[in-house]
Amino acid sequence: MQSIAIDDLKLAEALLAGERRLLEMVATGEPLADVLHALCNIAEATGSGVHCSILLIDSDAKFHFGAGPSVPPGYAKAVEDVPVMPEVGPCGMAASLKRQVVVDDLVADPRWQPLPWHAAAVKFGLRSACSTPILARSGEVLGTFAMYYEQPGSPSPIDQTIIQQFTHIASIAIERAQREAALKRSEAFLAEAQRLSSTGSFLWRVSTGEMTWSEETYRIFEFEPETRVTLELISSRYHPDDLPLFYEWVGRASREARDLEAEPRLRMGDGSIKYVHTLAHATRNERGELEYIGAVQDVTERRRSEDALNKVRSELAHVARVTTLGALTASIAHEVNQPLSGIVTNASTSLRMLADDPPNIEGARETARRTIRDANRASEVIARLRALFGKKALAMECVDLNEAIREVVALAASEFQRDRVAIRSELATDLPSTQGDRVQLQQVVLNLLRNARDAMADSDAGPRQVVIKTACDDGGVRLTVIDSGVGIDSLDRLFDAFYTTKSNGMGIGLWVSRSIIESHRGRIWAERNDGPGTTFGLWLPRVECSSQS
Amino acid sequence: MLISVVDDDESVRESLPDLLRELGFEAEAFASAEEFLESRALSVTGCLVLDVAMPGMSGIALQRELRNRESEIPIVFITAYSDEATRPTLCLTKPFSDQALLDAVSLALERR
Repeated sequence: MQSIAIDDLKLAEALLAGERRLLEMVATGEPLADVLHALCNIAEATGSGVHCSILLIDSDAKFHFGAGPSVPPGYAKAVEDVPVMPEVGPCGMAASLKRQVVVDDLVADPRWQPLPWHAAAVKFGLRSACSTPILARSGEVLGTFAMYYEQPGSPSPIDQTIIQQFTHIASIAIERAQREAALKRSEAFLAEAQRLSSTGSFLWRVSTGEMTWSEETYRIFEFEPETRVTLELISSRYHPDDLPLFYEWVGRASREARDLEAEPRLRMGDGSIKYVHTLAHATRNERGELEYIGAVQDVTERRRSEDALNKVRSELAHVARVTTLGALTASIAHEVNQPLSGIVTNASTSLRMLADDPPNIEGARETARRTIRDANRASEVIARLRALFGKKALAMECVDLNEAIREVVALAASEFQRDRVAIRSELATDLPSTQGDRVQLQQVVLNLLRNARDAMADSDAGPRQVVIKTACDDGGVRLTVIDSGVGIDSLDRLFDAFYTTKSNGMGIGLWVSRSIIESHRGRIWAERNDGPGTTFGLWLPRVECSSQS
Repeated sequence: MLISVVDDDESVRESLPDLLRELGFEAEAFASAEEFLESRALSVTGCLVLDVAMPGMSGIALQRELRNRESEIPIVFITAYSDEATRPTLCLTKPFSDQALLDAVSLALERR
């Protein structure tokens, strides 16, 4: 039916060149639509009055337009989403029957006349058609390759050769595109899974030092994607304390194939620490070279929760330990025994003075007075213990911290004057109000002031001055008490119960202060001064108070 | 006979010397081990009544320091911590009676 305008040799050469070009396009990963379009162009160039189309079949068994450079207008739209069934046309029939369907006279063939596309095709000048299924290697139908001719008749043997070769190339191109799409989906799925689980993967070829990282591994290490990964680069992220382990493992891993599981720390650019659970499995590639395939998981959050949990546990254990009767009575005994000792000594002295001949009345009176003072001291200790263990509920009210401080300073003035310690107040004028138990907060302030005074009791460095400051800070109010005293070596245990740096302290004051501040949703801390002494700070959240409170 | 009392607790420094004087001794009080070491009392003290726990140099450290200096001043320790009284040395747990103090000082002086 086709008048061959070029001789067989020329045709064969042209086809060969065309095939080569198509395969090249497939190999270089050009888009499927471009490859199929080119395929149709080449096929159409083998003769005049030839029009090609390629339809693709998706998983829902529906047609989608693949290519058709010279098909009638509206064709692409008309085939879209048409179900793959024999009744819809030659392509539907070819795909359904998995064999070539030839329509040698499109105008006369009664099978297609009632269909809407038929009139359009005839009007366009098409007179015969041949549709061939494009089969995957598995036998599954990927689509159809149709050639329409402007003359009635059947494909010639040359046409059949072209059809056979081009459906084969189309099959390769479609299968490859499908595999790539599947791979991309799988990669995207994997990347998403890695991101969700904060797990990255890596491959390390020991002999060449070549290192391949997944996107998530880059994200965990906080390196730009595509950065060339070397052992030096990795070591630059390692926490200095964990570096020896890193070098040891790298050394051992290069000598012998050995699996690894570790949880080193990384130190990021901003100084933050990450814990990465690392697993590496030793394997050999096809050339027998040692490779490690592994996963790194960012477990920082998990570690943080574990640490917090451990801290709570150890604090609980500590509380349990110190509140056992032995530890408690030892502390209480010490506090009570001091004034009791004074009472017994003074009373004994007093008695002896009265028994003197003549009786030392004035001396006895003085020692009796001291006896009373010591007894009062003992009762104060008991009162403090009762306050401590009484667990009164908080009496929450609106508190002007500055005012509360002024009251405490006035109260403590005489006692501080006696010890020649000056209190300098630097109270912020625009301090917002806070909410709390005024008396308890004042206890904390007094406690901090007294600690500051005690810290300077033996200090001869400069004037003895305690500075108490308030300021707005971070959505709340901050109070600092600064002394220039002897300083404290170990700040970490300061707020523990029964820990004291004073010879006659119980180690209760800061512990109670912390529990008061924490019950106010605040924080309390201590830090060393640049110069001598220590600064104690506390922070309370700002609370808007209604005017009646 | 001079008895030196070393205790950081002011009330002890007030009351103990008075009692010791009533018991027939001369008595002087010091607020710290360092203060005692620097005083002239060091060379003339017949017996030391010494608090175990003090800021700065503790009573135990003062005892060690005196041994290093080959001083043979007998020591009666006093402490408010009951468990420290189990030390194998002369040690009174506060509060103690005047008789106990007298016995301890006498014993310390005899041992010299």
